[in-house]
Amino acid sequence: MSTSLIQIRNLTKSFRKGSNVITPLANLSLEVSRGEFLALMGPSGSGKTTLLNLIAGIDGPSSGDLIIDSQELSTLSRGKLTKWRSENVGYIFQLYHLVPILSAYENVELPLLLQPLSRAERRNRVEAALDLVGLSDRIHHRPSELSGGQEQRVAIARAIVHDPGLLVADEPTGDLDGESAGAVLELLSSLSRDHQKTIVMVTHDPRAAAVADRALHLDKGQLVAPAE
Amino acid sequence: MLSLALKNIFRYRLRSFLTMAGVATGMFLFTAVETMQDSLARVTRSGADDTTLVVYRENRFCPSTSRLPEYYLPSIEKIEGVSSAIPIQIAVNNCGASLDVITFRGVPPENLLKYNPDLDVISGSFEKWMSRSDAALVGQAFAQRRGLRTGDQFEAVGINVYVAGIIRSLEAQDNNVAYVHLPFLQQASKIGLGTVTQFNVKVQSAELLDPVAREIDSTFRSDSQPTVTRPEKAFFAETAKQLIELIGFTHWLGLGAVAAVLGLVANAVLLIVRGRTKETAVLQTLGFSRFRIATLVTCEGLLLGLLGGALGVVSAVLFLHWQSFTLGNEGLTLAITPDAGVLFNGLLVALVLGFSASLYPAWRASRQSLVESLNAS
Repeated sequence: MSTSLIQIRNLTKSFRKGSNVITPLANLSLEVSRGEFLALMGPSGSGKTTLLNLIAGIDGPSSGDLIIDSQELSTLSRGKLTKWRSENVGYIFQLYHLVPILSAYENVELPLLLQPLSRAERRNRVEAALDLVGLSDRIHHRPSELSGGQEQRVAIARAIVHDPGLLVADEPTGDLDGESAGAVLELLSSLSRDHQKTIVMVTHDPRAAAVADRALHLDKGQLVAPAE
Repeated sequence: MLSLALKNIFRYRLRSFLTMAGVATGMFLFTAVETMQDSLARVTRSGADDTTLVVYRENRFCPSTSRLPEYYLPSIEKIEGVSSAIPIQIAVNNCGASLDVITFRGVPPENLLKYNPDLDVISGSFEKWMSRSDAALVGQAFAQRRGLRTGDQFEAVGINVYVAGIIRSLEAQDNNVAYVHLPFLQQASKIGLGTVTQFNVKVQSAELLDPVAREIDSTFRSDSQPTVTRPEKAFFAETAKQLIELIGFTHWLGLGAVAAVLGLVANAVLLIVRGRTKETAVLQTLGFSRFRIATLVTCEGLLLGLLGGALGVVSAVLFLHWQSFTLGNEGLTLAITPDAGVLFNGLLVALVLGFSASLYPAWRASRQSLVESLNAS
């Protein structure tokens, strides 16, 4: 069995915008090891988020191979891809994207509503996830009652509550102050180190990239050189 | 999905309240119209167990102009197939269409219970009514509308009566009239003794309605006061044609209310979907399938329709019950009384409307592009 969780070969993504064909990713190849914490860097429009969306299974490639944990994603139907995503991927957004009317508990519980779990099992998992991100005392707070850093930690709890092997994070510290960003990065690092989560993180911030095991640089849809 | 939909509804309180208030208003109107239609259907739709004929003066439509000699009674009773007959004098305050009709029915006191054994005296006593010539047994709806109690004295149509009891009957008409002694009413209404408005005739079986009616009319065809005899419900349907046309028109009002509710819920749910584009994309990212997204939206539409509808339907039923409206025309009364069927139909319509109104928004929500929605500002 391969030690790589993610295997990408000659991946191309293009789409039509008006009369122009845009190709944010062209013939990109990449492998990410199981439990690795990878940072993707690059200027705006370099294809980082497109690559992240492909890896997360929320977008499909135009050509090439995208294999995650021995599963070729391009062969899955939309429904099966949605189910695969619900079981294997945790997504962390830059702007947290918590549901504003739901409490921290209810937000974290959302991915578990898709699984055949009893209420008690869901409660145990949600409380464990919130405990792991250090927010046990904010369980009934709504997003509007939390700081940005706390909101992002709730979002991380939501991403890990169903125990996926892969976490993808799109600039998770992009909207946070230095202190909160540091706490979030430390949390991601510990998830990789202590819980063997494979993490792919898009970031503009070199300090964030420094926390990762490896950092790659994208430009015009291609990997250009390892970032320093 | 249901619990998530409920949270969405109850935590966006103002938006949900305004939508439900609109739905409730539409469903209130719909239920009021349905109640009118239903009440009319109950008194005009003939059934196999209907065995009552009404003998009226030919070519007369209002009680004040239908005058028949009381001495017709023995001739009617002798006709084969007749099981009983009762002369009735009717006095009304208004012969035209009205929402507040007061109707006195004068009947021979000794014949009332024999003719109408279903009458239930819920307050006061029948004996008291028998013992006083100016006594009235007042129908429950009539009493409620006028605020009358046993022992009260009231005056209407120039007739002053004493309330000896309040009655309840399975026949809607009985609940909207005041029964008084026939001789008293004949004298008080200045019609004079020996003249009545109509005869109500019971026949032995429904099959005998037509032959007995023909026989009665042929018996008096050459008399000074020829008659026209029809089954009671057909009599109502024919005599109250204007009323029926008026209520038939309200059918369109009901349809309009339904269309308004449909548009309101569809618009509200569509706005909800548009306002939650990013939230929906996040749910899809978490693994919510298109079907689940559509189900969530549909549940919200269903709940808005059902909760708003229930509010409107129940309000309308309670309002109509307390107000005891009675439509009257040419001496006939139509009590606008809601029943369980109207309540059930109203809730069912609200449910179907909520569901139908959410279909397109649900389809829109489930079809939105995940990547484009996530990238939207």
